[in-house]
Amino acid sequence: MTNLDHGKFTGMTTTFHTLLALDVFILFFSGYGMMFNDELWWLVTLMGGNTGVTAVHRIAGLGLVALIVFWMLMMLTTSTGRSNFREILMGPDDIAAMIQDIKFVLGMADERHSNARQFAGYNSDEVPLLSYVGKGVVYIFSVELLLLTISGLLIWSKTGVMQYFATKTAAMAFVVFHGLLGVIMLMGVMFHIFEHGFHPAFYPVEVKAFIPRKLIPEEHADTDHDSTGISQLGLAPSWGWATNVMGVLTVIGIVSVLVGSIFDEGYPVPRELVVGGGPTDLLLTVGINIGILVLFIGMALQMYGNLLRVRWQKQLAEEARTTAATDGGQVNDH
Amino acid sequence: MNRSLPETRDYSGLAIAVNAVIAIAVTAVVVWLASGFAFNAEALFRVGPTVEAGGIGADWRAGNTIPALDFLIAFVHAADVLMGIFILVMVFVHWGAFRRLASRMRQPGEAARYESDAVADGGRAVSSRASDSGDDAPDPRGDDR
Repeated sequence: MTNLDHGKFTGMTTTFHTLLALDVFILFFSGYGMMFNDELWWLVTLMGGNTGVTAVHRIAGLGLVALIVFWMLMMLTTSTGRSNFREILMGPDDIAAMIQDIKFVLGMADERHSNARQFAGYNSDEVPLLSYVGKGVVYIFSVELLLLTISGLLIWSKTGVMQYFATKTAAMAFVVFHGLLGVIMLMGVMFHIFEHGFHPAFYPVEVKAFIPRKLIPEEHADTDHDSTGISQLGLAPSWGWATNVMGVLTVIGIVSVLVGSIFDEGYPVPRELVVGGGPTDLLLTVGINIGILVLFIGMALQMYGNLLRVRWQKQLAEEARTTAATDGGQVNDH
Repeated sequence: MNRSLPETRDYSGLAIAVNAVIAIAVTAVVVWLASGFAFNAEALFRVGPTVEAGGIGADWRAGNTIPALDFLIAFVHAADVLMGIFILVMVFVHWGAFRRLASRMRQPGEAARYESDAVADGGRAVSSRASDSGDDAPDPRGDDR
């Protein structure tokens, strides 16, 4: 009885999600290595210093442009893409789901709204492809990535931006704008990692984005039950402390990059050494590094998700072979 | 469908964790040694982002004659702060919701609540031994602890 048979991605979407995530992580590591270079000097050094880090950022930027263009084409030219596009449209139910989530935490509601559910359970028909948070993530990330790409390309082409804005200093403003714009996404990705890695039913990673729809058998059993079926799942022993640690790290990371972004708005990588520049606050340095740690954990979790897919595929292949080999005889239990 | 996997032996999680931590620590010391025990942040590229410090941030602000760009940056600052607060609220809401959901789940070591309902998808696999012990608990809805 599979109770997770709704709200799953296609094979292409899972691959795209992985590539986009890797690309965006590289952009974060290089971009915020530059912007928060006081706090993340080691990232800049790791990527080859001043020249290397900008090169990494630009190559990953090119990758992002390619991915965005690819995705837009897929959404426009395929019927699956068009129907998936309808799935992400926001409705009044999504607002209701957000309000009910707050009530749920405060004990004023017994269940999460169906538009908030990540876990399908027995009433699986009520679970949408994306929760209200999932839709919000798609909206915010889409707008952010588009604006970041446009401003990034303008910065890249210095003569191009100066042509529009007349002075070099005005062009510099675009660098600041670009860096600050990404902060929303940086904070959002930290939340995204927490949300999809630490749901008690899916911990340590929600496989929706890694195991494609076609690899998961669909069954609709146990329609007698009226609950989400979550009480049937066993909680992992490490969930409690792991989620508390990750929650604390996520909150510190978000607060720190937010505070850091208020200070660090200058041109990211100076041509010359400016001694003692920027806030050298130890707390901020620790906090921003914790934020980067959250991103590293996210990257590890997404690699783990892909590993689960590979293992799952192997298991299915193994089962298919075993079943075929033993047809008409004993099941070869090994 | 045969879902059993071959028995495989593995190293203990504790051994892996301890050795990983030691390996990372040794690596860090080796790198530090290789860099001549340098602990000199001043030698690294830095930026003076504030106007007072005279960093390059001051450059564009002093030289910028387009008020629209100043507004744009102030606007994104505001958007960052508002979205940051909103995202923090969402983190706390989900953290809380997850805790409530977790309290409804079968706790570690607890037997399955329905003999026939061993759900192996998404959560921990329910072992057949746990199912056999047959804890026929009543409707588990609303059992928040």
